[in-house]
Amino acid sequence: MIGNMPFFVSMILVGLGLWTMMTRRNLIKLAIGLVLVESGVNLFLVSLGYVRGGVAPIYTFAPEGVPTEIPMVMPTPQALTLTAIVIGMATTALLLAFVVVIYRHRGTLDAGKIRELRG
Amino acid sequence: MILETFEGFWSPLVWTAVAVAVTLLALALRSRGRRDHKKGTEQTAPFLSGEAAPDGVHVGGQHLYWGFVEALRPYIERLRAAHTGFVVDYVTWLVVALAGIMLLVLLV
Amino acid sequence: MNLATHVPILAIAVPLLGAFALPLLAKVHRSLRDLWVLLVGAFTVAMLVLLAVQVFTGGILVYTLGAGTPGDTVPEGFPIRIMLVVDGMGAFMGLIAALVGIAGLAYALQYLEEEKGKTLALTLMLLLWAGMLGLKLTGDLFNFFVFFEITSVAACGLIGYRVWESRPPEAAFKTMVMYTLGGLLILLAVGILYGEYGALNLAYLSAQIGQGPLDQIALGLLLGGLLMKAGSVPMHMWAPDAYGEADPSTAIVLVANTQAALYGLFRIVFTLYGGAGSPAVGGLVTALGALTVIVAVLMAVLQTDLGRLIAYGAVSQIGYMLLGAGVGMATLGAAAGGEAGFGLVALQGGVFHMMNDAACIGLLFLCVGAVVRATGARDLRALGGLGHSLPGVSGLFLLGSLALAGIPPLNGFASKLMIYQAAFRLSPILTALAVLASILLLAVFVRAFQGVFLGPRRPLGGTAAVPTGMWLAMGLLAVVVVAFGLVPDLMVRHVVAPAAEALWTGREAYLVAVLGG
Repeated sequence: MIGNMPFFVSMILVGLGLWTMMTRRNLIKLAIGLVLVESGVNLFLVSLGYVRGGVAPIYTFAPEGVPTEIPMVMPTPQALTLTAIVIGMATTALLLAFVVVIYRHRGTLDAGKIRELRG
Repeated sequence: MILETFEGFWSPLVWTAVAVAVTLLALALRSRGRRDHKKGTEQTAPFLSGEAAPDGVHVGGQHLYWGFVEALRPYIERLRAAHTGFVVDYVTWLVVALAGIMLLVLLV
Repeated sequence: MNLATHVPILAIAVPLLGAFALPLLAKVHRSLRDLWVLLVGAFTVAMLVLLAVQVFTGGILVYTLGAGTPGDTVPEGFPIRIMLVVDGMGAFMGLIAALVGIAGLAYALQYLEEEKGKTLALTLMLLLWAGMLGLKLTGDLFNFFVFFEITSVAACGLIGYRVWESRPPEAAFKTMVMYTLGGLLILLAVGILYGEYGALNLAYLSAQIGQGPLDQIALGLLLGGLLMKAGSVPMHMWAPDAYGEADPSTAIVLVANTQAALYGLFRIVFTLYGGAGSPAVGGLVTALGALTVIVAVLMAVLQTDLGRLIAYGAVSQIGYMLLGAGVGMATLGAAAGGEAGFGLVALQGGVFHMMNDAACIGLLFLCVGAVVRATGARDLRALGGLGHSLPGVSGLFLLGSLALAGIPPLNGFASKLMIYQAAFRLSPILTALAVLASILLLAVFVRAFQGVFLGPRRPLGGTAAVPTGMWLAMGLLAVVVVAFGLVPDLMVRHVVAPAAEALWTGREAYLVAVLGG
């Protein structure tokens, strides 16, 4: 049960992020909601890769003296998470840049008032 | 040169041949038409209930298919009201659709 | 180096590196930059055509990056490598990308203005092109996500880079929120599948995949993310904003990008899941397709902005593709019993319609660009009488709209006919809706044509001549529209049928090609 805790936490984070995006009108808060979803997914990926007592994936082969039944950790989930974090940073930065531009044009961050494109 | 479309077939070359034949037929019929038609006279002006045709009036694109569009207007207005342009609504629709898809793939 | 053996990676790497080299070359000289764009574009198109020839004659192409064979790998025999797998469908999508990409670049070189971020826009266009190609050629799920995000970032940059106007950044923000959320859903699904099977290779996962709840949750997440990016109702609302506000050269690449998401959807349902739960998923996709067709067309009826009107037309065409493919998915299970032939025809129609839609929607967007360049306006109420000053553009616009509405003998008719007839077998209501939408589409475009091009001259007459590059781009798409309309049988037999076949029955061949016998 306790081992599954990270999965629950990550899904709660995703849910909170979605809830934020559906209930807040401020553009910055929308971006924060998106980052929350992203953190949840990243946490999910990292916790997938955790192996209790495993050998850290900084070696190519398990070092001398480590019993063979101790597993090597696959570095793939960590690599995935790093990539996802980098991508997430890029998208968040672009998103916030658009928020700045929109604020300069409209003088508001209320998503309910930024509705020139509709219908 | 025939595209099988399950229950039928489609051959653009046959279609083109038929289209050319029909055009030729129409031209042939037209050439047998009335000789007393004269260009540049009142005969060629549109008949507007006996009114004189005003100059420079053009029926714009907005007025084409007027009845058609009016008949659809109640439905379209309802749809337009749903396209709020409110980004929170976009997200909500995505979550709603995702929930629907999840129910479908998990339960069916 | 033997070029022919490295075609798949070159098709992705050349536009990617070309994009990053482009701002540097622009610092040297502008004409060098333009020459570079043309060189990169021509080379990539050549690679994609070569790739298509190789795949259509020699079968599935597997290109491995990293360890050559699984045995070369450390530790404990896990293959540390990424694969590009190109089957008939991938090669077909590559051809669409080639057509749209080269037309868009040729157009953009002359349409974009130097002091309004031309270099940046060209960079992002090449980046978007590279991401799109990667999405279509990769055989690895995580790579799929990475390329998905590359296209998202590049596309939103392209939509919103005109920050001195107020509408494009708004459209870009909305699109970005949706794209990022969709991308995260896909990443979550990739994570679930990795946690379950410990691999990211599409073929390996496909061989292992079952029908447990986790698999189904992952399928649902993937469907949600990809249907969003494809612009299916009710997740389509970003699409008219994005297409309508982007430059026309960008808009046509965006439409192709939407089709890349559709390709991803087909790949997931047909190859990864092999039609698991296909009647339910097929029913869903068919229903969403029919809904998309009709809702988008109704929304197009009252639009007064020319760009937005065509954008809704583009969304409705996505509906036809979903409809065709959905009928295929719904009957995939029955096809194993040798019963259904109409599913395959529907799938072929949907796949063929992708190519046709890329050509005719692209042509329409490019014509709008010519109108905007000449008059500076897009409002249907302000425009009028442009047929006097832009006779060529008005002819091409008419051609594009007739093809889009499915008037014979243009290309839209052939693919729509296949979809109508095959969907009729599943349910006549689908065909009725699709035909009704086509009629409405014709009405919409006749109205737009009459409003913009016919009538007496208006003050917004437009005097600027259309430059050669823009003519070439529009001419290329117009030739495709007419040619595919006149010889649809050749296209279907030699290009579309192998592509549809790769989805329909090609799963075994795909697995064998990647995993070995």
